[in-house]
Amino acid sequence: MPWSNQGGGPWGSGGSKGPWGSGPQSSGPTPPDLEELLRRSQDKLKSVLPGGNLGGRGVLLILLAAIFVWGLSGFFRVEPDEQGAVLRFGQYNRDAYPGLNYHLPYPIETVLTPKVTRVNRIDIGMRLIEDPRRPTPQIRDIPEESLMLTGDENIVDVDVSVFWLVKSGGVADYLFNIQNPEGTVKAVAESAMREVVGRSDIQPILTGARQNIETAVHDLMQKTLDGYQAGVQVTQVQLQKVDPPAQVIDSFREVQAARADLVRLQNEAETYANQKVPGARGDAAKILQDAEGYRSQTVAEATGQASRFTKVYEEYKKAPGVTRLRLYLETMERVFAGTDKIILDSGTSTQGGGNNAGVVPVLPLNEMVRKPGGSQ
Amino acid sequence: MRLGIAGGVIVVLAVIAAIIGYTALFTVYQTRVALVVRLGNPVRVVTEPGLNFKIPLIDSVISIDKRILDLENPSQEVIASDQKRLVVDAFARYRIKDALRFYQSVGSIEGANSRLSTLMNAALRRVLGEATLTHVVRDDRAALMARVREQLDREAAAFGITVIDVRIRRADLPAENSQAVYDRMKSERKREATEFRAQGSQRGQEIKARADRDAIVIVAEAQSKGDQMRGEGEAERNRIFAEAFSKDPDFFAFWRSMQAYEQGLKRSDTRMVLKPDSDFFRYFADPNGKPREDGKK
Repeated sequence: MPWSNQGGGPWGSGGSKGPWGSGPQSSGPTPPDLEELLRRSQDKLKSVLPGGNLGGRGVLLILLAAIFVWGLSGFFRVEPDEQGAVLRFGQYNRDAYPGLNYHLPYPIETVLTPKVTRVNRIDIGMRLIEDPRRPTPQIRDIPEESLMLTGDENIVDVDVSVFWLVKSGGVADYLFNIQNPEGTVKAVAESAMREVVGRSDIQPILTGARQNIETAVHDLMQKTLDGYQAGVQVTQVQLQKVDPPAQVIDSFREVQAARADLVRLQNEAETYANQKVPGARGDAAKILQDAEGYRSQTVAEATGQASRFTKVYEEYKKAPGVTRLRLYLETMERVFAGTDKIILDSGTSTQGGGNNAGVVPVLPLNEMVRKPGGSQ
Repeated sequence: MRLGIAGGVIVVLAVIAAIIGYTALFTVYQTRVALVVRLGNPVRVVTEPGLNFKIPLIDSVISIDKRILDLENPSQEVIASDQKRLVVDAFARYRIKDALRFYQSVGSIEGANSRLSTLMNAALRRVLGEATLTHVVRDDRAALMARVREQLDREAAAFGITVIDVRIRRADLPAENSQAVYDRMKSERKREATEFRAQGSQRGQEIKARADRDAIVIVAEAQSKGDQMRGEGEAERNRIFAEAFSKDPDFFAFWRSMQAYEQGLKRSDTRMVLKPDSDFFRYFADPNGKPREDGKK
């Protein structure tokens, strides 16, 4: 991982350049290198002058050569992703930019070259673990970092990555103003994250407010770090995971399911309604068509009957008596043609012979009804 | 030979000069402040970085970090004013302002850290103990942190330290309380889920009921309109009949009666008992067919 800062601060690559470790040095400014150097040059002299026989010119030459080599040791290289800060007797003197540079040789000047363009990454709530056997890094959860309390006293599981680099123009701040930039960025990130999450209720955190949280954390972090004059620029705050804690995630899924059920029930009802109402409209249309038909039929029949009557009447008017009689007779004819008839002469005493006088005819009505149409 | 001796002398002198220079000079680094101590007695403080002189062997130099320093505090339990317990994990950032006082009172950064840690714990308990849990977590976190910083800063001034910031890294419930929170979250979600489902069936029923009602209303309205149309049809029929039949009501009565007889007296289910003296049989007995005086029509 190119951004994992293994060195523990900008001094990591500096080697033994000075007492920049932790804690004050009570033994005074005695860089061991210088003593070493002196002793070594003395040794060298002794070995060169075993009997003190060599000429003074030779000694001078050796001295000049040593000074020359010493002078050359001031060349240094600043890599493209670095920026150099040159210190003269420990005092910040000037910046050095990528390429070949020169500073007066040690112990007059020294140089620090922090990587200023490298984007550092800090993960909170999880760690990426490089595993050479797998193509993607594994994620290990760190619950004590990722579980946080929300404003409504719920707990939410948040993983976040913060990307930062040395502020442009802030190299001096970054190098000289703060003891532990990386640790500070991490501590500030955690603190800001929890502060922002603590201000909000759980629901917006889980649903829509990611962007807002990222922005708020970013702003708060930048503000705090600027307050320290840490020379750190936070480039991005990225929420990796925002979930309910594992212990309750099922309940949250259940709510999702219930919400889906709500929509489903509603849709089902709407399906029913969409079926029912048009069905009723169909029924209504049928009823109206039937009624319309009935009306037309009734009117048509009436018109037919009326015109039939009118026609008959017009003919009737021309010869009322005859037509009336004819109609009567024709009707009677048709009526009598289809019925069983029994003709009884009622006027027995006044008409016919006297042979059947006093005879009462018996009509077996029941019997006649019992076999209808039999005598036709 | 003389040259050689002179060279040797030069070298020796140079070495001696280097040793004297080395012990009389000291470097103050950009990140540090130097305290010059003469035989155990601090005589001056060098704040400007660069090269400085001291008396060899007599003066010693103590260099003190002037950067912003870390104070990481282990988490501790704090009881809020509403008796709720919180596990608070805070950190501070401070700077050594007065190197001499710092050196005299605490001596080293380790010493300062342990003293500050105690003070910070006390300040945290004091300040957070006056606030409720909601205030700590939600409403007043920044203000409370500022108050802790103020108190700590006041107390740390005695060590020559200025406290730049105190921040609560974590303020969480203890593990045993977390379980209660989880249980509550679960029950809340359960309630929410039940509510959603109930709402769903309620809305579903509402929609269905409205559909049913709409259907009934649609059919009923159609029925009513249909009946009206039927009535119109019948009215029209009556009008047509009245118009036609009123031309000669007498003839209509006759004609309609004829039709009624024909329709009414169906064949096969009708038996008639007739007297031959009815009008129909007028010519039955008499070819002249005089109508009878007492006969009906």
